[in-house]
Amino acid sequence: MVWLLGAALVLNIVMIGALLGLIAVEGMRAFWPHPIEQVTLRTGERFLGVPVREEAFEVSAQRKRELLARVEAGEIAPETTASDGRPMRRLYRIGNRDLGQQPFRWVEIENLESAERPDEAVFVERIAWGVFLGVPEAVVLQTLAPAPLDAEGSPMLGAPAEGTVDEDGATIRLTRELRRIEVEAGVFEPFVVTRRYLAEGAAETMRLLRELIPEAAQRREHLRGLRRSKIGPINAAMTHLRERVTEAEIKLQRAEAGGARSTPAVVWFGALAAAGALVVGVGRASRRARKSGRRPTPLAQMLSHAGVVLAVGLVLFVWLERPVGGSMTPERYDHIVADAAARQAELEVEYDAVAAEIEEVREIDSQFRVIIRDPAADRFAPERQSTPDEPMRISQIVRTVQPNTLSAGDRLGLYLARWWEFIADDPREANTEGGVFPVIFGTVLLTILLTIVVVPLGVLAALYLREYARQGVVTSFIRIAVNNLAGVPSIVYGVFGLGFFCYTVGAYVDAGPSGATQLPVFQWWFLVGAGLAIVIAAGSVGILSTRKPGQVDSRGYKALRITSTCAWIAAFGIVAAMFVTTPYFHGFFEARLPDPTFGKRGLLWAALTLALLTLPVVIVSTEEAIAAVQPSLREASYGSGASKWQTIKRVVLPGAMPGILTGMILAMARGAGEVAPLMLVGALKWAPELPISLDAPFLHLDRSFMHLGFHIYDLGFQSPDSEAARPLVWASTLLLIAVILLLNLTAIMLRARVRRKMGSGHF
Amino acid sequence: MSLMTTTPVQPDAQPADDSLSIIQRIQQGLETTPEIHPALAQESSILEIERFCLWYTKAQAIFSLSMGIPRGKVTALIGPSGCGKSTLLRSVNRLNDLIDGVRIEGRMLLNGESIYDPAVDVIDLRKRMGMVFQRPNPFPMTIFENVIYPLRIDGERRRSVLVEACERALRGAALWDEAKDRLNESALGLSGGQQQRVCIARAIVAEPDVLLLDEPCSALDPIATLRIEELIHEISERYTVLIVTHNMQQASRVSDYTAFMYLGRLVECGPTVDIFQNPRLQETEDYVTGRFG
Ligand SMILES: Nc1ncnc2c1ncn2[C@@H]1O[C@H](COP(=O)(O)OP(=O)(O)O)[C@@H](O)[C@H]1O
Ligand SMILES: [Mg+2]
Repeated sequence: MVWLLGAALVLNIVMIGALLGLIAVEGMRAFWPHPIEQVTLRTGERFLGVPVREEAFEVSAQRKRELLARVEAGEIAPETTASDGRPMRRLYRIGNRDLGQQPFRWVEIENLESAERPDEAVFVERIAWGVFLGVPEAVVLQTLAPAPLDAEGSPMLGAPAEGTVDEDGATIRLTRELRRIEVEAGVFEPFVVTRRYLAEGAAETMRLLRELIPEAAQRREHLRGLRRSKIGPINAAMTHLRERVTEAEIKLQRAEAGGARSTPAVVWFGALAAAGALVVGVGRASRRARKSGRRPTPLAQMLSHAGVVLAVGLVLFVWLERPVGGSMTPERYDHIVADAAARQAELEVEYDAVAAEIEEVREIDSQFRVIIRDPAADRFAPERQSTPDEPMRISQIVRTVQPNTLSAGDRLGLYLARWWEFIADDPREANTEGGVFPVIFGTVLLTILLTIVVVPLGVLAALYLREYARQGVVTSFIRIAVNNLAGVPSIVYGVFGLGFFCYTVGAYVDAGPSGATQLPVFQWWFLVGAGLAIVIAAGSVGILSTRKPGQVDSRGYKALRITSTCAWIAAFGIVAAMFVTTPYFHGFFEARLPDPTFGKRGLLWAALTLALLTLPVVIVSTEEAIAAVQPSLREASYGSGASKWQTIKRVVLPGAMPGILTGMILAMARGAGEVAPLMLVGALKWAPELPISLDAPFLHLDRSFMHLGFHIYDLGFQSPDSEAARPLVWASTLLLIAVILLLNLTAIMLRARVRRKMGSGHF
Repeated sequence: MSLMTTTPVQPDAQPADDSLSIIQRIQQGLETTPEIHPALAQESSILEIERFCLWYTKAQAIFSLSMGIPRGKVTALIGPSGCGKSTLLRSVNRLNDLIDGVRIEGRMLLNGESIYDPAVDVIDLRKRMGMVFQRPNPFPMTIFENVIYPLRIDGERRRSVLVEACERALRGAALWDEAKDRLNESALGLSGGQQQRVCIARAIVAEPDVLLLDEPCSALDPIATLRIEELIHEISERYTVLIVTHNMQQASRVSDYTAFMYLGRLVECGPTVDIFQNPRLQETEDYVTGRFG
């Protein structure tokens, strides 16, 4: 038996170890630089490529025999086939997608004439269009000048097409060319394009590039910074202005349609006074009761309960029917509109200034170009696919590597630099290049949010179940239901989240109750009145049904208690109905409609959905932890005269804290790794903005986000270029596991601290 | 067989068959009349128990028990285990309210006020009684926080008051000299006897009317037991103490009055010297001398 158990354990460990090992190895390998080969095929075709991997592929049995025979005869090299005669092939990454080729290419070894590793071959990682493999040719300074016109008014070069200039003691070749360039949409004007060849030849070009690439990167960052921190806020401010005007417009319409408040001032002031009197009266009575050391009589309890409920109702009335504020007059509206127009004009001026600055930097940037030629196609890397004769700008380059000349140290440095880029940068090229910073950020933020939501919720539920609810059929049933919730497929939570949170609650937050469910004011207050009455009744029956000390429940008490519970449930129903039918609430983001703000997928709803999904874990572990708190400690607390809540707060919760944190850890682990529901409620393939920013409200819970789990799925199975994405899938997987591990380690350390404090007595 | 009922608390039941001993009668579930010494009647009672019955769901644990607990004295409850001593003690501060299915009949009066009156605030009631349990049960907090726990939950925030009360209670519990330098260390790091004294300090810090001790020494070694016994002696000058004990020597050493219980009933109750040296019932003598029980 012990052997069987041991074997099972070993099997498990081996499986988990193999999985983690595979991910670790593949993930670590992802960014290792590989050499570039100059491939010559037997057909005479030549191209540059980075060998990715080799494999044997299936062919007919006859062909296998044929191949084996040829190998035996010494006609072809043995590495051409696998030992069983299947031919081998090699996958090359050839990049250069903008020259119109597939970026990966299989080559049968049989067809391979030779594969050399030329020193000058360069691997260019670019901002767009993926990698480019080629040979560096020249660095070009390209300037534009309006073309002079000849006597007939047609443009001319005005100088020889080729020549040299002497600059800084060096002789620089230059070329001139006449070109029609689009200055505005549809308007072409003739320009003279002058190209100065600042460096020529592979070695010279690479040397100069090493200087120019960091400068270009600086310009790129500068431009990005301008767009992000200047243009972004200006746009946001303009949107905000428009919203303010729209909001004022809506309010004005509503005021004109509905007229002023219908409540007579006498009624309103009466309600205000009554509410004040009730609050003061109940407060005093309860203070007096607390001092006396005797419990108030049931009648007094019922009266004070009714008093509190009525006070709440009156305060609600006083607030909703308040005669001041909130209404819009035509004068105020005009004022807002004028204000907005003035501010808008200011913003436009600001905008123009920034736009001019951007244009200036772009102009400088567009002068620095590099010619990197693909020898097979005899074409250079273009600025855009549509402009094949414009060499690319240096600022389009992220990094150039000549992998065939790298030393071991260079390789390691490059490897680390690529990892850093992966962790710290934004994704590019449909996520198949660049980094995953927003993805990591989204994952961590989502996990933190879901933890913030689920832990209090789960702990409260568990506390109620364990400490307050009467243990019986109902609580057992609830416990079973909670346990079963843990087994519901997560996609179901996604569907629920989308339908309930995004489209129902979210739409409510945006626009308030839909017109169809809104009740007229009078009827709504009738509903509120019914709700208050039911709450008063429920509370009173509950007070009546409290057990006399030292007595067990008689059947009558039980009936009263069940009545009270049912009444409370009805009261909750009415409160929900009040929300759904209120004529007072029109949403927080009415002005942005029809664009939804919260009525769509977003971070908040994703966090809530995942919180729901992980709730059972927290409830179950908290309940266990609460049950495990020693009864003798509770007795000590009660015996010292502590109330139930004081005992919970000071003895039960601290004692259960490690267990609660265990639940939190499990919930975090489950939530961070969940993907299916996120696909429905908020994770996007590409979310341009982080869910936090420097402008209020800083944390944008309405925004979509990126998530590592979804990112892996998207890269691996939805990517246009799955070969290119392959190493990133492994790297992302490794990262996801690392992130979850890190989050868990943090939580585990927190738990250890709590345990230590409990042991040493400070909590 | 000398049945000299000086204070008949149960008027209805008169023994029909004199040939049975009181123990046999209890074992057969017959009505019995406890032997209550007249000295007790001269004391003023802080706690009056009147025909108190208690059921755990269906099982009755206390049978129509009546007695007074004299004010300012130490009263020991003795009896074989399972006879309902702890149950009685826990009924006094209504700790049994926490157990589902407990039902009582009869009355208990603290200073003439009914403990089981629905209008009584049970929290307030428990604050007027300190309780120490069989096993030391300090909270996993510092010694200081343990001792002042009853004040904390009472909402006392003033540091000076708390510090002063803590010192007073710890001196009262004869722990001050040992603990004064370790007030901010965990109480769990103390020895069993020290922990129990922390619990006693916690029980007396709020100056209760009555101190309920449920076999406070049963989990301790003899030396710690001796210290706690001395302590009970000192404490008894200020408080009314009701102590449950298994240990006859302890009862005779620390208590002024002793009540002997058997199977949920009171058998004999009187001054400790009388109970131990000159009991009225043969059964009591048998029990206190260890021949029975
Ligand atoms: N929580 C409980 N539920 C049911 N029965 C109990 C409970 N506590 C004690 N009892 C029963 O009540 C009787 C008296 O117990 P207890 O008061 O603890 O005795 P003692 O302290 O004298 O040893 C015993 O028969 C015991 O089994
Ligand atoms: Mg006991």
